[in-house]
Amino acid sequence: MSGFSTMNTAISGLLASQRALDVVGQNVVNANTPGYSRQSVRVSSVGASPSSTLHTGNAQAVVGGVQIDTVERIRDTFLENTRVAAGAALEAVKAQTSALKGAEQLLSEPGDGGLQSVMDDFFNSWHDLAQKPTDEGAGAVVIQRAKTVTAQLAFVSNGVEERWETSLQELRSTVSELNQAASDLAKINQRIRESHVVGRPVNELLDQRDMLVRKLGELAGGKPSVQTEDGMVSVNVNGLALVSGVRAEQFTLSGGTTLASALATPADPPVVTFGQSQVSVASGKAAGLLAALKTDLPGVSQKLDGLAVALRDVVNTVHAAGSTTTGAPGGLFFDGTGASNLSVVPTVTTDLAVAATAGEIDGNNALAIADLGIDANAEAVLGPGSTSPSGLWRNLAANVGTQVQGLERGLEVQQTVLTTADIAVESDAGVNLDEEMSSLLLFQRSYQASARVISTVDSVLETLINLGR
Amino acid sequence: MRVTTRSSATATMRGLETSLSRVQELQNQLSSGKQVERPSDDPAATVSSMKLRSQKRADEQYLRNIDDARGRLSLADDALTSLSSQIRRAQDLLTNARDAALSDDSRAAIKAELVEIRKSMIDTYNARWIDRPVFGGTIAGENAVDPTTGDYAGNDAPIVARISRDVTMRMDVKGTDAAADVLPGILEQAAADVGNDNQTAIADDQAALSDALSTVLRALGDVGARGSQLETSEQNVDSERLDFVSRISANEDVDLPYAIMNLQTSQIAYQASLGAASKIMQTSLMDFLR
Repeated sequence: MSGFSTMNTAISGLLASQRALDVVGQNVVNANTPGYSRQSVRVSSVGASPSSTLHTGNAQAVVGGVQIDTVERIRDTFLENTRVAAGAALEAVKAQTSALKGAEQLLSEPGDGGLQSVMDDFFNSWHDLAQKPTDEGAGAVVIQRAKTVTAQLAFVSNGVEERWETSLQELRSTVSELNQAASDLAKINQRIRESHVVGRPVNELLDQRDMLVRKLGELAGGKPSVQTEDGMVSVNVNGLALVSGVRAEQFTLSGGTTLASALATPADPPVVTFGQSQVSVASGKAAGLLAALKTDLPGVSQKLDGLAVALRDVVNTVHAAGSTTTGAPGGLFFDGTGASNLSVVPTVTTDLAVAATAGEIDGNNALAIADLGIDANAEAVLGPGSTSPSGLWRNLAANVGTQVQGLERGLEVQQTVLTTADIAVESDAGVNLDEEMSSLLLFQRSYQASARVISTVDSVLETLINLGR
Repeated sequence: MRVTTRSSATATMRGLETSLSRVQELQNQLSSGKQVERPSDDPAATVSSMKLRSQKRADEQYLRNIDDARGRLSLADDALTSLSSQIRRAQDLLTNARDAALSDDSRAAIKAELVEIRKSMIDTYNARWIDRPVFGGTIAGENAVDPTTGDYAGNDAPIVARISRDVTMRMDVKGTDAAADVLPGILEQAAADVGNDNQTAIADDQAALSDALSTVLRALGDVGARGSQLETSEQNVDSERLDFVSRISANEDVDLPYAIMNLQTSQIAYQASLGAASKIMQTSLMDFLR
């Protein structure tokens, strides 16, 4: 052990402390940076070679001291993967909820502005006509109310179609965002590998990488696979590789682009594809949007069409059985094939089949149509096992309501799951300022102590040099 | 568990969000007064609310039907009352005509008045409620009795209205029940008989008239009975409607005291979590280092 080697040992202490202080500084300033993983310096002691003494003059001898092994990045892969999955599940529910909530708003139930009240008004107006079969005013009211019903049906049906198109647009931008994020991840992977090869620090790149993996999860439920030795992470969507190392694939959106195509037989809903094969997206925003596009919104639209057909059939059946005030047989009242194109055929009061007996003006047929507002009467006309138009509407409201309620509860649960996962990740990888403050003190002291070793060795050497005088 | 700046911030924010969203939800409920605003708030309540509203609207229509029926019946009532007084006038005239010593002028005057009464009766029989005859049944024409020939043109088919969910009621008066088929004929005959001074025939006419009068009075009684049935039905339907209104309200509306109490509690909870957050975030080791 010589004075000079002690000096070197002390210098290694100074350097280690400085590096550690650097890292503490980095931690402190990034305490609130999203996605930042705290770092810590891992050091190890270096044993002094017994032969390295001043008089042997062995300059190559290994000196004692401390050496910095690595600047460790603290982030638990398991916790992070849980966080990715939680984020993906939340985004799926969120996207589906928002699409279906839009449809729910269109129903405007319960209240006096929904289809229920419009249909009630329509049937009730026939009561007035039954009592005043020849009254132009009463007839005009019936026709106007019928038009209000068709307008309301078209409003809801078109609204659902608009939601569908908006969701498709959202899905389209989700897929392009996904492709962008995938190629970004591949680039980051490349940079990580390159840096790894030349031994540059990669911790901050790894943070960026993890943020991108999260994003891929949130967009399409991408799952990170085991990372390689050189720090690259591959991501797959339901088993299909989206990013493998430095290579990113591109997903495309294909399938039908209209609500009608999603409803057609065979149905042609939008699908996310990779080349020729379909990607079954099970989580993330894309999955929520796909669920809304494939089943939820088409389901609502289908039910609306069913309602429109039931309304058309029930009114037309009774209307055709009667005759007008001029004795002509009652023709079609509603025409059309679905909620969006239902129209009212009669234009004037004399087109309305108010009488049950031809040639008489008894208003009994008008009364029969008015009575269709009572569910049982409508169901008797439509045949066994059928549901009245009002009943169908209530079922639709109940279905959508129950589904949205379920989704909202799911949303709450997923939010909690995500928060828990976030807290778990943050409490592992996050920066604790108190901890950093004590590290700061610790390394400051250790720097001071190393400096003191140098000054002490210096004075010892001075004593030695002055001995010869 | 290790606590870090961001983990405690995340937890605190989550707690604040939860309590604030609860406060907001209650404030929404209070400001709108509705507990069920969308189907997803309570699907079951939504469905029953929709059904109740539909039934309430049906009841409102039945009340309107009752009003209309009352209008038509009161028109029939007026017509029948006027008919009965006209019949009585005709009876008086015929009694006068039974006097054998009556001068020809007087007889001619009685005959003329009887002809006028017949015209006025035909007019009365042709009473219309919004273009539809009250005594004509369901005929396509507007006259129950032909104004020139005095022949009954109506039929017996009823005009009915729904006055409650399960009850329909005839709103017009059957022409034959109001002697519309015979009365113009009797008067025509009586006028002729008076002109001919055929005393036996006049006596027959008197008998026929008093039959007709009792027919009209019966019809009047029937109209009155239907009027009171309308009253009863109106009361029933109206009380049912009010019941629906209160059930809709119970279904949809906010229970105010409960909601206000909840709001208070959640506001306190929110303030408490704010207070806790400010305390936790306030201090760190830095405060104690010199």
